This record gives sequence, structure tokens and C-alpha cells, in this order.
Amino acid sequence: MERPLLSIQDLTVDFITRDNSMRAVDKISFDVPMGKTVGIVGESGSGKSVTSLAIMRLLPQPPANISGKILFDGTDLLALPDDEMRKIRGNKIAMIFQEPMTSLNPVFKTGAQVAETLMLHRGMDKKTAWEKAIDLFNEVGIPNPSQKVHAYPHEMSGGQKQRVMIAMAIACDPKLLICDEPTTALDVTIQKQVIELLQGLQEKHRMSMLFITHDLGVIADVADEVVVMYRSKMVEKDKTRSIFEKSNHPYTKGLIACRPDLGANPKRLLTVSDFMDEEGNSLKVTKERVQVFEKNYEAKNDSPILLEVKDLHTHFPIKGGLFGRKVGEVKAVDGVSFQLKRGKTLGLVGESGCGKTTLGRTILRLIEPTSGSISYEGKDITHLPNEQMRLLRRKMQIIFQDPYSSLNPRMTVGEILTEPLVVHGLGGGKSERLNTAKELMEKVGLKANQLNRYPHEFSGGQRQRICIARALMLRPEFVICDESVSALDVSIQAQVLNLLLDLQQEFKLTYIFISHDLGVVNFISDEVGVMNKGKLVEMDRADRIYKNPREEYTKTLLSAIPKGLPKNLEAFLS
Amino acid sequence: MQDQDTKSLWGDAFSRLVRDRWALISLIIVLAYSLIALLASFGVGVPDWKTSMGAEYLPPGGSLWLGTDLFGRDVFAKVIHGTKIAMSVGLVTSLIAIPIGVVIGALAGYFGGWIDDIISWFITTFSSIPNIMLLISITLILGKGLTSVYLALGMTGWVGLARLIRGEVMKHKEREYVQAAGAIGGGHLRKLFIHILPNVTHLVIINTSLQFQTAIKSEVILSYLGLGVQGEPSWGTMIDDARMELARGVWWQLAGATVAMFIVVLAFNILGDALRDALDPKLKGK
Repeated sequence: MERPLLSIQDLTVDFITRDNSMRAVDKISFDVPMGKTVGIVGESGSGKSVTSLAIMRLLPQPPANISGKILFDGTDLLALPDDEMRKIRGNKIAMIFQEPMTSLNPVFKTGAQVAETLMLHRGMDKKTAWEKAIDLFNEVGIPNPSQKVHAYPHEMSGGQKQRVMIAMAIACDPKLLICDEPTTALDVTIQKQVIELLQGLQEKHRMSMLFITHDLGVIADVADEVVVMYRSKMVEKDKTRSIFEKSNHPYTKGLIACRPDLGANPKRLLTVSDFMDEEGNSLKVTKERVQVFEKNYEAKNDSPILLEVKDLHTHFPIKGGLFGRKVGEVKAVDGVSFQLKRGKTLGLVGESGCGKTTLGRTILRLIEPTSGSISYEGKDITHLPNEQMRLLRRKMQIIFQDPYSSLNPRMTVGEILTEPLVVHGLGGGKSERLNTAKELMEKVGLKANQLNRYPHEFSGGQRQRICIARALMLRPEFVICDESVSALDVSIQAQVLNLLLDLQQEFKLTYIFISHDLGVVNFISDEVGVMNKGKLVEMDRADRIYKNPREEYTKTLLSAIPKGLPKNLEAFLS
Repeated sequence: MQDQDTKSLWGDAFSRLVRDRWALISLIIVLAYSLIALLASFGVGVPDWKTSMGAEYLPPGGSLWLGTDLFGRDVFAKVIHGTKIAMSVGLVTSLIAIPIGVVIGALAGYFGGWIDDIISWFITTFSSIPNIMLLISITLILGKGLTSVYLALGMTGWVGLARLIRGEVMKHKEREYVQAAGAIGGGHLRKLFIHILPNVTHLVIINTSLQFQTAIKSEVILSYLGLGVQGEPSWGTMIDDARMELARGVWWQLAGATVAMFIVVLAFNILGDALRDALDPKLKGK
């Protein structure tokens, strides 16, 4: 058998601090064969990024303590002296990071940053390096490469920046390319292009790739083999097809099952906890849990209209010049009209910058509209005075995207949850308010005795549950979920989606669900609106949008979703 | 993180602060100076600086640890009295400067627009005037003496803090937790005072410790220039006296005042640094 390019044997990484030590990677072993792609999947904190950093020897020691072997082309990277390692890093092994916005130096021209790599590792003179940089820009598909090499990072879009990162990575013809969540920060359409580019380059340069992601859909599209990591350990390793068709470990099954499918879904999404208990023992999945649920889209058609938006515009001025004169405007929301019936869920999808978040906040009048009208229960609220708007806020709530920044770090959970009642002078005395908070804590799946904790003591998923509980404290009728599950791991995302559905039923809620993830929107929505450049380009019943989209833009968006491998719900029974 | 008791954020920060040995020593020094100052202002348990204890310029020794001055007064007693002056200047100027700085900075940062334009203009103008010049003119208008020193230092000390708070409030204003407070119906006052300000208090505390030592140093300079404390000893007047004395080999008055000042200023600096590490939420968990 041919020797693998990279062979990891019993790699263990511990982080040792003064107070405690933590095992981030626990005895993992796998190979990356020549010219193949190996994917590592796992949730945040499972040790996948630490593994990649250990291969690059980019972990500071101490606090990190690394043991095991990392054989690259037969040499143990862990035993190499520092300056030998520096020759390999960026030269034979290159890496692409998640955040193209921060991995490029903002004060240097992008071309110069690519040329620098060439001068450093290939000893090229400045002129040849710049010429080669232009070739590389061309190769990674940046338009007008001879001009774009002179562009600074802020003059490029996110996708273009990621292309520059790729150009830098392949500049020295590396044998191994490590991609650490390279497409997570990008829109689906850009993600598709970047993945196609990477696959093309891999074939052309005969590279091996180590592809790290939390997204199983992407993994299925790119990887030949998959390594699944869970709580620092490698729980499964197999060919991609086999992993998707007959995974052995309950965690892998859960991970595959919890992704909302574009086609059929069960009534409540399966989660990892359906397959595995706290201690990691497998559980049997019941037949009804996997039954495909046929949503009745017409169910609430005769309920009254709750929200009506007519020709809504929200424009932001662009200021420039010497005295901050208005030189133009951004039409973030540009003439949007729709109706939403009580008890239904409207999904709003679109790429970043399409105006979906601004639309949501304008409806709640957290941002003032430029023109148009918003009516709630038949009453025009577009110009409602602040005092009356405050009263209306009891009925309309919002759940934000980032559970880390949407909770005040200096308040306890109890204070956070009772605040809405305090603001509106509702809910009786302090102890009664706390009792209401306790009830809701339990409703959202947290413990009632955690009320005197601070937000930093909770995990991301738990914090999002706190945000949901806060939104529900005033017993609203209408809730906008603004990318509320986007920052969460897929398995947690499924739990929170299930929770939102349960709460909708219990509290008779009407949702506007804003997301860039078409799978999630398909699962939760009755109707879907597709937004592009501030306009609502298409709006229809969810199943119709997905089965026969009419607009070109919707088609592009749908075709860009990583297909993955269709999952067979019945198969999870065994 | 299961069911054990949760530590309050301030308690947590304090335990991190005292784990740092130098910070703990600095904290003890600051507390000791404060205690001495407090006792001195009530005249309890401190030596008397007014009466002559012996001949002029007695060198250190015996019960006179730091010798005597021109009038035969106990230099150690003068250092203690100077401590009282220094600490009171630090405290009073902080009490004047910090509320001004926080309120002005918070208003500018939170409301933005023309309010911010006016306040920023004011801050910039204020900070473009050389500090000592401003101090001198304020003391000249108000007359020499301790009250003028308090006011002069208090009125000039808020500028840096106001600018810092303005920037921080601007940053926090855009955070989702503040928007969330708006979404549940909270007004401006609630957003600013209940949500944003507690999140910038740590900056105020760090700033106070630095403000304190700047004030102490400024008082010494003003008194040295003859614009500060009149008719009673302070570290500044003692250093001023020493100008004449050094030529005669009398070093103890200078040494007493400068060492006393050096120790407290250093302690405040180290404490300020340690407070920054202990209180900064960004460094949490590292």
C-alpha cells in the first residue's frame, strides 16, 4: 500500500494552566492519503481545530502539551526543530482559515501579501513574485487579476478575500492543504463557488486536503473519508458514503439525522439525544420519531391577518465629504409588501446584506422606516408615538442571532428574565416575577434553580434558550427570530428548532423566521419569502418555493445548497 | 458548572486580583496610606508636626526617625501630614472628576449626533490647553490654597475618562443586549444606566486608581511651584524647602517626601494594571 501523505498516530493535546488541565484532543489516529480529501466533523469544542493547529505546530507550548506522532511524508513534524518546521509551514503544508475578513492584513495590498509568501519560500525577486501573484489571482478566479492585485482587503468582497487566501495557500504548491471551516462565514452561493474552486485546484495540483467543518452537507460534497470527533475523541472514521449510509456510532447518527432536510422531515427534528444518552450509551429510536411529517400548509388560512407590510422602505444615508454631507443612500429595504396570518410562520431567506435583518427590525420599529406602512392587527403602527409603541412591545418580540452578545454580562439570568415585567410594571411583586421566570426556564428546558447565574456560565445553546425565555416573558403573540439558530451547532440547532415549534403551539405564536439557511427555513415555515438587494423577489407557500421556484435568484440560491446525501429516516430505526 | 454556587462577577474579579502577589502588596500599601491619612485628619495616633522637637536640621536618629527641619520640627510628622494632604487631594479630585467624566462621556457616546459634536468639541478644546497652565490660572483666580487645588485638579481630570467612556458607550450601544432592552420596551435611561453603564464600571475603577496618583503628583508639582498648599506641610512644599537644604547636606526632608510619594504612586500604578487584568471581561477565562 502506498504511504499516506499525512499519518496521525495517537495524537493527544492537553492544555495545562495553573488551575487545571484540559484534554482537547484524545488519542486520535487517522491518515490522509495522497491526493485525497479527509474531512473532520464535530461540534464546536470537539477538538477539530486544535488538531489542525497541532499539525501546523501553531499551538503555543506551554500551555499546550502535545504527544503522539504526526508523520508528514515520513518525517515526524513534532520532532522537527523550529526553523525546519518553518520551511514546511506555508510551503509544503498550507492552511486556509475560517474568517477571510481577519486573516488578511488590512494595510497591505492583497497582491503584496501573496507575493510575500513567494519571496519568502521560493526566493523569488519582487518582480517575478508579483507576476506569479497575478497568475495565481487568475487561477483562483478573481476577475481583472492584474488590477485586483493592487486592491486592499477592504476593497474586496468576502468571497474574493477567501480566494486571495486560497491563492496564498497554493502559491508554493503545497502537498497538503488544511481548510479550517473555509466556507462557514460565506453565503451559500459563494460557498458553492469556493468549494468548486478548491476541488478544481486539488485535482490540478494533486494536493491532499484536510477539510474541517461542522457542516455535514459540505463534507459529503468534498470528502473521500470522514473522521467524526466528539468531546476530544475520534468516534468514527470511514469512507464518506459509508458514514452517511450506515454509521455505527450513535453520535454520528444523531449528527446526520439532526440536519433539517430540504425534502421530508419528521414532525420534530431528531437530535443527538435521541440516539445517545448523557453517558454515551446508544438508545433505540422509536418509529414515530422518524415518521415523515406532512405539514398542512393550509391549516391556518382562515385566521385573521396579524401583520401587514405595505411598500416598506428603509434607507440609510451614506455620509461623506468634509462636513459629513449625505452623498447617497443604501436601500436596505426597498419596497417590501406582505401579509402574515395569525399562527403562521413566515421564513425570510437571503444572503448577507439582502436586508432581511433590517426588515425585521423595521417591523418592530427598532429602526425607523423611511416610507411605507406597517399595520399590526389592522392598526397602522408606522408612526405610533413612542409611548404607545412601548405598550405594543408586549405583543411583539425578537430573538437575536448571537446568544453571546444579546445577554447583558453583568446581569443574572433572573434579572434578565424579570426585566421585561419590570419595564412594563407587570407580573406583581419580585417573588411572583421570579416564579414566572422559573416556570419559563423549565419550559425552555433549563433548570429553575439557575436563575442567579450569570450568562457566561451557560453554553451557547443554553444562552439562546434564555433569550427565548426572555422574549416569552411578556406572553407575546408575534416573535421575530433573527438568525436565532445560526450561531449554534447543528445538534443544538435541532433542539432549539424543536423548542420553537413546541412553544409556537403552546403560546399560539406567530413567527417571522429570518435565516440564511434554506434547510432550516423549509423545516419551520409555512410560507417563505426570498429577499435580494432589499426586495422581496418571491414569496409563496414553503413547499412550492422549494419544489418549483419561479424566480431565477431563488433557483440559484436553491442550487447552491450543498446536497449532501439524502437521508433515509427509516434507516435510523436500526 | 452544574449546581454549585455561582460567584458574583465582582467577587470573582477580587479573588483574581488578590491572587497576584504584587497587586495584593499594592492594595495593602494603598489601604495603609488611606488609614494613615484618615487617622491624621482626626489627629489620632500621629505625631505633632507643629511644635519644635529640638535643634534645627538634626539628622535622622533616635526618636526622630527622619530628623528635624529648619524650625526643629519632626520631618517624619511632616511626611505623615503630607500623606493626609496627598490622599485627600486624590480622593476629592476623583470625586469631582469621575462623575463629570462618566456623565459627559456617557451622554456623548449614547446620544451621538449634535450632542456628541458639542461635547467632543468641548473635550478636544479642554485637552488642547496645557494642563499646568490651566491649573496655574485656576489657582490664581480662586486664590492659593487646598480648595483651589481640589477644584483645579478636579476640573481638569475628567477629560481622559470622558473620552474613554464615550468610546465604550458607543461600542456597547450597538450590542444586541442593548437592542434587546429596547425590544422589551426599555427607554433611554434604562438602556444607558441599567444596561450600558454597569458594563463600563470596570473602566471607571481602573481610571480612578490612575486618576488618584496623577492628582497626587500634580498636587506636589503645584505646591512645589508655590501655588498649592499654604501654611502646612505637604510633600510638594517639603521638596521645595529641600532646594535650600541640599547644599548644606540636609537630605532627609527631600528623601522622606519623595520616597513616600514614590511608594504610593507605584502602588497605585501596579494596582491599576492588576485591576485592568482582573476586571476586563475580554480576558475572562484566559
